[in-house]
Amino acid sequence: MQTAPASVTRLIEELAELPGIGRKTAARLTYFLLRDKSDLAGRLAEALRNLKERTRFCSVCYNVTEEDPCPICADPGRDHTIICVVEEPLDVLALEQAGVYKGVYHVLHGVLAPSEGMFVEDLRIGELVARVRGSDVEEVILATNPTSEGDWTASYLLTRLRPLGVRITRLGRGLPVGGDLEYADAVTLTRALEGREAI
Amino acid sequence: MLIPLSPLALSVYNRAAMRVRYLSLTNFRNYARLELALPERPLLLHGANAQGKTSLLEAIYLLATGSSPLTSLDRQLINWEAEAGGLPYARVWAEVVRRDRVQEVEVILEKKPLANGTTRLQKTIRIDRVRKRRADLAGRLNVVLFMPQDVDLIAGPPAGRRRYLDDTLCQVDRAYCTALEHYTEALRQRNAALRHLRDEGGDPAQLAPFEEVLAREGVVIANGRRELVAALSQRADRIHQQLTGGAEWLRLEYRPNFDPAAPPALKYQMGLGLQPYEGPPLGVGAEGLVAAFRQALLTRRADEIARGMTLIGPHRDELRFVAGSPAQGTHEVDLGTYGSRGQQRTAVLALKLAELAFLQARTGEAPVLLLDEVLAELDAARRRYLLSQVDRVEQAVLTATDPEMFSAEFRERAVLMEVRGGIVTEAAAG
Ligand SMILES: [Zn+2]
Repeated sequence: MQTAPASVTRLIEELAELPGIGRKTAARLTYFLLRDKSDLAGRLAEALRNLKERTRFCSVCYNVTEEDPCPICADPGRDHTIICVVEEPLDVLALEQAGVYKGVYHVLHGVLAPSEGMFVEDLRIGELVARVRGSDVEEVILATNPTSEGDWTASYLLTRLRPLGVRITRLGRGLPVGGDLEYADAVTLTRALEGREAI
Repeated sequence: MLIPLSPLALSVYNRAAMRVRYLSLTNFRNYARLELALPERPLLLHGANAQGKTSLLEAIYLLATGSSPLTSLDRQLINWEAEAGGLPYARVWAEVVRRDRVQEVEVILEKKPLANGTTRLQKTIRIDRVRKRRADLAGRLNVVLFMPQDVDLIAGPPAGRRRYLDDTLCQVDRAYCTALEHYTEALRQRNAALRHLRDEGGDPAQLAPFEEVLAREGVVIANGRRELVAALSQRADRIHQQLTGGAEWLRLEYRPNFDPAAPPALKYQMGLGLQPYEGPPLGVGAEGLVAAFRQALLTRRADEIARGMTLIGPHRDELRFVAGSPAQGTHEVDLGTYGSRGQQRTAVLALKLAELAFLQARTGEAPVLLLDEVLAELDAARRRYLLSQVDRVEQAVLTATDPEMFSAEFRERAVLMEVRGGIVTEAAAG
């Protein structure tokens, strides 16, 4: 069997590591880049290098940012007494696009799912507790997804935040059960946010 | 799609009727393809072993319960030739007639490749072509399946008895089936968290979300099983006495692994720890029971972290079969441990017939009776007793290697079909 040159195989293998990309797709993308005449490969390489070199996690909210603190945490126009806790940076994006939320965020970077090797130690929970303790934060909105994992995570967060005496709310029922914040539309997100209830 | 029946058609089905009118199998075990209109009369499938007689009963059972009676490895249900030919899926589809409606019930099993090179079996349940959960099968099609290996239910491992209770309840009780799904998932998560805490340490409070689910759903499961066992026990005893000519009685005993409703003395007997119970007051309704279960999980955390598994709860429940004889006074015997094979066989027959009566009482319609090669194991009197039940249900499907085992009179009113190599053909009468 004839094999492709090592540099081709290498890119195929690296691309296939990405979620949702199988070997076939990886090979198709690789050969597309080979044929491309617009130096897409060069621009992609630069973008990939910058992705890790220029970005970091915000030391306050753990969202992905190029400046620390991130523009949201640094904005005096936002309400810093309300923290919305989300699973992923993409959830921040979705809520920002809906454009109604004026508070700040905290990104957990995952959910509690022991059978998949995700434990509370892997999430930015200690950082959240430290951030709320002794601060002038008045409300924490638990905006994890309305899935089993999202509910377990919220349930654990509740046990950690309750002793701090802060108001704790959960997003309203408007979100489809089992759904993902990231894919909810602006109207649904706004309704869920406005319909949030103390727990 | 719900097909409304005309008033005329309804009058035909007015006598409480539940039956599978049409069965379609694709790549299911021996069957590459089967399209079968089931007759109104009892269907007697005959043919040599390993030709597909049992698989046909299994397919109907799968539609009723969402799980296979034979294997916890559902992946073996997919026809291996089809799989080798690049069709890693099996499909079971039926048209089910109820008193007031006709429904399509469908189970699809597919092998999905995973990133790590292994495969995962995906089970899809559809009702009237709409995707549903296992709990939604409850109340669609009810069956009682009786196979020769069912005798192992009595003396075999307890997991088989729990599975029997679960499959029976899932046929009729949607809330139970939902609770079971949630419980099973929370148990898996909590056990993974316990192992993590044992091996790497961490915050034990992350067990709490799962303990909440286990406590809440565990109480639903225990209540469901307790009621079912009581209902079965009463009926099984009556039938058992008839089968033994009054020489022996039978009692089914539900022994919950954790029972906050039981008095402390009983708990001690069952080896549930030496410490007296210190939770909230008992016998005060579901909330009190949930709180007691939650508390029990909490107090056992340290021990369970050390063991890396959840040691209390319905996933460790027991069901025992106890028999005695009026001639021997108060003496009683646990059939699982001390019963003779003959006693166990009689008890399991009584259990299956009790299940039939239970399902009929619960739903108002007789379940479909599926008898797999069981006649060979029974003496003439019990054979007659069992066959008399065939006339009491709307639909019965029976299998036998030798149809001569049935009386000429029975064969006369049944429809005989031969199963050979996954092909079903209607044989000439006689
Ligand atoms: Zn920030």
